[in-house]
Amino acid sequence: MSDALLSVTDVSVAFGGVAALDCVSLEIREGEILSLIGPNGAGKTTLFNVISGVLRPQRGDVRFLGRSILGRSPHQIAQMGIGRTYQIVRPFGNLSVVDNVAVGALTHARSIGAARRAAREIVDFVGLAPLATRPASSLTLTQRKRLEVARALALRPRLLLLDEVMAGLTPSEMDTMAEFVVRLSEHGIGTVCGIEHVMRLVMRISHRIVVLDAGRCIAEGDPKAIQADPRVIEAYLGAPLAETI
Amino acid sequence: MKLWLPVAALVVALLVAAPSWLNGYYLNLLYITVLYVGLAYGWNIISGYAGYFSFGQIAFFGIGAYATGLIVVNLKWYWLLAALSGGVIACALSIPMGYVMLRLRGPFFAMGMFGLAQTSRVVITAIPATGGGSGLFLPPASDLRSIFYWTLAITVCAIALTAWIDRSAFGLRLQALREDEQVAGTLGINVTLEKMYAFALSALIPGLLGGGYAWFLTYIEPDAVFSPRLDLQSVVMAILGGVGTVWGPLVGGVLMTQIAEALWAKFPQVYLMIFGGLLVVLLIVLPRGIVPALVQRMRRTT
Amino acid sequence: MVLIAQLVINGVLLGGVLALSALGFNIIFGVMRVVNLAHGDFVVLSAVFCAFVFAQSNINPLFLLPLTAIAGFLFGAVVHRYLLRRLPGEIAKAEASSLTLTFGLSFLLAGAGLAVFGGNYRSVPYLTGAYHVAGLSIPQARLLAFGSALVLAALLGLFLRFTAIGRAIRATSQDVEGALACGIDADRVRTISFALGTAVATAAGALMSFIYNLNPQMGVLFTINAFAIVVIGGLGNYAGTIAGAVVLGLAQSFTSYFAGATLSEAAPYVLFILVSLFLPSGILGRRAT
Repeated sequence: MSDALLSVTDVSVAFGGVAALDCVSLEIREGEILSLIGPNGAGKTTLFNVISGVLRPQRGDVRFLGRSILGRSPHQIAQMGIGRTYQIVRPFGNLSVVDNVAVGALTHARSIGAARRAAREIVDFVGLAPLATRPASSLTLTQRKRLEVARALALRPRLLLLDEVMAGLTPSEMDTMAEFVVRLSEHGIGTVCGIEHVMRLVMRISHRIVVLDAGRCIAEGDPKAIQADPRVIEAYLGAPLAETI
Repeated sequence: MKLWLPVAALVVALLVAAPSWLNGYYLNLLYITVLYVGLAYGWNIISGYAGYFSFGQIAFFGIGAYATGLIVVNLKWYWLLAALSGGVIACALSIPMGYVMLRLRGPFFAMGMFGLAQTSRVVITAIPATGGGSGLFLPPASDLRSIFYWTLAITVCAIALTAWIDRSAFGLRLQALREDEQVAGTLGINVTLEKMYAFALSALIPGLLGGGYAWFLTYIEPDAVFSPRLDLQSVVMAILGGVGTVWGPLVGGVLMTQIAEALWAKFPQVYLMIFGGLLVVLLIVLPRGIVPALVQRMRRTT
Repeated sequence: MVLIAQLVINGVLLGGVLALSALGFNIIFGVMRVVNLAHGDFVVLSAVFCAFVFAQSNINPLFLLPLTAIAGFLFGAVVHRYLLRRLPGEIAKAEASSLTLTFGLSFLLAGAGLAVFGGNYRSVPYLTGAYHVAGLSIPQARLLAFGSALVLAALLGLFLRFTAIGRAIRATSQDVEGALACGIDADRVRTISFALGTAVATAAGALMSFIYNLNPQMGVLFTINAFAIVVIGGLGNYAGTIAGAVVLGLAQSFTSYFAGATLSEAAPYVLFILVSLFLPSGILGRRAT
């Protein structure tokens, strides 16, 4: 409990009477890669929206670094050190790649020049350097996914929330992205929580996995335990896990 | 790139010297041009950079004009001071108004602002001190020359301000929230605060210009200073020149004012068709406006 | 009591006519998410045209109505196919650019109207009397316009409910992606919706000629009214549009009596700003989550 960077306690969200999250509790520990899995509509993205302050839950509490962040606006939460990406990539289409990333860097940079310098380094790091001055609208989907991550990195977050950064990528691109996520800790981004569907990679890179189904937290544990858990197999995979991997 | 600085200085010097060799009609036209350009720059901050398309910034022009008029009539202040106060009052009133209106988005904000401007006109007309629909007479005190200098000074400042915004962190924040407000928020931008700043600046500029206009008219009535024509025309100018660019409102404003002046009085139908037709055609041929298209062409040739 | 009843009658009669024009606006918004700033200009041009023809050759606008509706339909189809559809498709900018395009179109139409019909105020001096029932006066022209508007709105409702294309329009305005998934040709539906919305506007214009004194530059007024009604009743909500129109009609009739003509001008603006702030899905809609 003491090493929890972020803890979500009994959070419930309902849309017009339909529960999207039902008393969900979980914690994210300093330095881990936590994967959030579950079928479509399980409430994963809703949980990200709650943590990043975009959505206010009807019940429950979210604490980051020991303080409640409920009711804080998204920009305050971002400034406290939580960065997120969006499942459907949302680049600032008319801004250049560097400026897209510089927006995130403005939270800590003293000037716009400093923000752009910081942004350039991150753009290099994610491999978009040749496209740095292009408008973001000219990028391909793969490049947009990287830009999405780069923008969140520019915040220098303590906790990075990745929403399906693998979706839509080719298998080899997925491997590159997975490699990249693992390497984030070398660049000071210690804690990552990712929503992901690609089991092969989830099992390979996660330290811990939390399974959501129909707005509830149904299982939690390391990859091995999750693969063996009958509830997960029934609720999520509906078939022996070995076959899908 | 540094070439534009002496050019700009030369243009400003010419404009400053203009009243001494221009006669009444041309000075009048020059004043109107500078006024429209200034209004287009005022609109460009909230609507071009922050992306909140407004059809009602004229509200602050009208409020500035009336505040100036009321101060002069009741307190008998020196005209420059009165005009300055008019702008400050318009800007101050924009803060509560913006706080409410900026919760609306897209067409709701655009039409809401149109409604706000019309509501302001109705409210001003209903206040007895303003003389209602029959208007307010200002004591003749200032000549066209000094009104022109006042307006020129504000417009030049508005251009300088835009040039600064375009390369500042503030400008980047505005553009980010224009592109996607929610994402800008989760990237650490206080969107509410930033768009309030933009809105207040987009109220201050027309507010200050309105004070000068009150002196230009010497007789203010609600329909003249809350004129949708003045508002929509300056919006069209900024769009044609290039929304959210430093030089777009200048190019659009200078070109369009000449067309408007030549045609409005004699052939309003032709004028309306040209304005509307240009807008429609340009939007399809050069969707970003004249200035960005020119910049692109220059980049390609060099 | 009689006074209140009279004000209610005035408000409802006005609301009925405004509702028709607003329905056209709402179809376009519902299907395309386009706020058509030229909507009022279509209404006014049609009204001025009818008044012009009436003055020349005494043809009743009710006979001209099908003609104006067909002309509106064709014109709307052309505007969509050759202008709106060519706008750059980036999502963030699409809304602003369709707003700008119809804004330009509004200038263009007003200018064309001025060139053809001149700047005079026109109306149709037909049925200028009033029925008197129990101390209440019901102007005949307004009653006629109101009745015709109801008939047309009912026809429109039947069309939307029982024809294939009508159902496609309703499906698209409820859920664009769902409609696409069901194999609806969204592009064709959009063209037809824009054409239909314009046709409804020009038909409403023919009826407006009975009750308003108009010149070609007054389109803005009707755009604002339609927008206000649609916001009050809920965007894409066709039943709400009728309710919204009656609310606006009542608000105008009451404020103009109790607060004077000047203040009643502000009624639609204040109403729609309040509704869009506090009831973003309209008076009949459920709160957005």
